Amino acid sequence: MLIQLSGIERTYTVGTEKVHALRGVDLSIDAGEWVAIIGQSGSGKSTLMNVIGCLDTPTRGTYFLNGKDVARMDDDSLADVRNREIGFVFQNFQLLPRETALANVELPLVYRGVKAAVRHARAQEALVKVGLADRVHHRPNELSGGQRQRVAIARALAGEPSLLLADEPTGNLDSATGEEIIKLFTQLHEQGHTIVLVTHEPKLAARCPRAVRLSDGLVVADGPGKEVALISVAA
Amino acid sequence: MIAAFIDNMRLALGTFRANPLRTLLTLLGIVIGVATVITMMALLEGLRLKVNKDLSQLGANVFRVEKWPSGFNLGGRPNWQRISKRPALTLADRKAIAEQCPSVRVTSASSGQPGQKVATAHTESQANVFIIGATPEYIDTAGIEIAEGRFFNDGDDSDGRRVAVLGPDVVDRMFPKVSPLGQEIRLRGRPYTVIGVLERRGKVLGMFNLDNMVFLPMQTYLGAYGKRRSVSINVQAHDQASMDKAQEEVTRVLRGRRQVPNEEESNFEISTNESTAKTLNELSNVVTAATFGVCLLSLLVGGIGILNIMLVAVTERTKEIGIRKALGARKRRILMQFASEAVVLSLAGGIVGLGLGYGLAFLGRWALDFPTAVPVWAVALSLVMSSGVGLVFGIYPAARAARLDPVEAMRSE
Ligand SMILES: Nc1ncnc2c1ncn2[C@@H]1O[C@H](COP(=O)(O)OP(=O)(O)OP(=O)(O)O)[C@@H](O)[C@H]1O
Ligand SMILES: [Mg+2]
Repeated sequence: MLIQLSGIERTYTVGTEKVHALRGVDLSIDAGEWVAIIGQSGSGKSTLMNVIGCLDTPTRGTYFLNGKDVARMDDDSLADVRNREIGFVFQNFQLLPRETALANVELPLVYRGVKAAVRHARAQEALVKVGLADRVHHRPNELSGGQRQRVAIARALAGEPSLLLADEPTGNLDSATGEEIIKLFTQLHEQGHTIVLVTHEPKLAARCPRAVRLSDGLVVADGPGKEVALISVAA
Repeated sequence: MIAAFIDNMRLALGTFRANPLRTLLTLLGIVIGVATVITMMALLEGLRLKVNKDLSQLGANVFRVEKWPSGFNLGGRPNWQRISKRPALTLADRKAIAEQCPSVRVTSASSGQPGQKVATAHTESQANVFIIGATPEYIDTAGIEIAEGRFFNDGDDSDGRRVAVLGPDVVDRMFPKVSPLGQEIRLRGRPYTVIGVLERRGKVLGMFNLDNMVFLPMQTYLGAYGKRRSVSINVQAHDQASMDKAQEEVTRVLRGRRQVPNEEESNFEISTNESTAKTLNELSNVVTAATFGVCLLSLLVGGIGILNIMLVAVTERTKEIGIRKALGARKRRILMQFASEAVVLSLAGGIVGLGLGYGLAFLGRWALDFPTAVPVWAVALSLVMSSGVGLVFGIYPAARAARLDPVEAMRSE
């Protein structure tokens, strides 16, 4: 079992009010699985991604990643896990505005201590994969929304992570480019990478072997992609 | 480790490029601090080097006995009321020294009258010439040399002959075209025959001109300018080893002659090239310390500037920090990134200050004809100090950056 969440709660305190983003999520994901997470806006999808990605610590509940209790790891070991094991595609890209596409893609490799020459080559390769070979030296503000999203994907891929966490990775892409990205994910899945993908498109969720539906901070459905996606249409 | 260092350097310079003007303004404190140190140290060092050379006015193994403390020996607080009552040093004192001090090889006496006019039949100088009466041995004890003609001999002195030896500036002024030897000059209306010209010696501290002088034999001088004048006595010891002994002997003889009671201080002054240089070096140490005080103050101001600009940088770049941490930057890495940025900025300020200081020192030399030399240690020290300031004042903002929570940081705009 790669990911094992039990009774995960995440409560934000805003002033005197408490916002319950997650209210007791139980979820297990095996190595090599491809899981879609769907749910309405505000249902807690991004919050769950942050917990899975060791970026956020749950208010209550336990999280075992690769058999290790994440709650017991210190900040630096968590940073190392994020750096080596996890590739993030954030919902709003999170690119460094002053750096080129290439430098952005290299960033995880920089913190992994990869030599500059190797770094450049791998980042270049990842950018080619997402179809941005001709935008390598552009800064984010010189790129379109879809291109920025692809840079973010390239950054997640460059480190060849065992776990890929993607929050709406095709949200800003036209259907053709979106399809390219999904093909890439399919390839990665076939190579044995674990993928967790947040999406609001039932069509995309239906193509995933497994889908999890969140509603108001709780898992309300978990099963083959087709079925869970269909429920959403029914609901 | 090295890769991380290079990466941090690149980032630090990037920020500087992003906002050079604002950064430079914030760094002004450091710039001024370092420029002050460099300029002051350049002036002092130049002065010290020059003075140590200039002050070698006495010949080898010579010390000078005077009634007054000389200009540079004002260490402590002289009691002028008492000093003004001191009895004059006389030619008889000189004779006693020569006869009673076995460690003394030769002595000479001199006495001076500043602000005099020199005239010839055709022209007249300004009233700024220094007239010195000197005994023939003066040439051996005062570090001066004859360029042309000769210095006085015993006959010139004992007979009070009207002869004169000129400094090169006086020659340039009075005899620009002809050889001065054998020519006549007039001092206070009295005629003197020029028998020699001195080698050029330059100015002390670029101010006091050693070449604008006229030397007369001692007796001639006393006859013309008054017999009751106090004289200075130059004493040459046999060799370096007997310098201390000679000074002791002279002190003993003079205290006896001037009836100074045992428990009282001597009522005359002894100076050597070394003692003069030492007093001056002590003075320059005081100025150095004061300069560093001023410099520390502006470095403090500069440090607060660094603190400010780095806190702003951390706030402005919260999102960047969040992204870096999310992608696996450890705390220490972020800390190092911002700390090295602070150090690089502050060092940049230091280097600008260094350039400015060099510029000012150069300007000083060029415009004021003042000797300057930037000492290497001052350069090293100001670079170390400016990077130190960056580290000290940059560490707190850097620690704040390192502590940020990645998710929250990424949410900020
Ligand atoms: N830092 C925070 N402070 C307070 N409330 C928060 C914070 N982050 C998330 N929330 C709240 O938690 C809930 C879940 O947020 P989350 O971002 O996980 O939703 P989501 O499912 O990703 O939505 P979307 O599809 O719009 O991205 C929301 O109600 C949100 O307002
Ligand atoms: Mg979201």
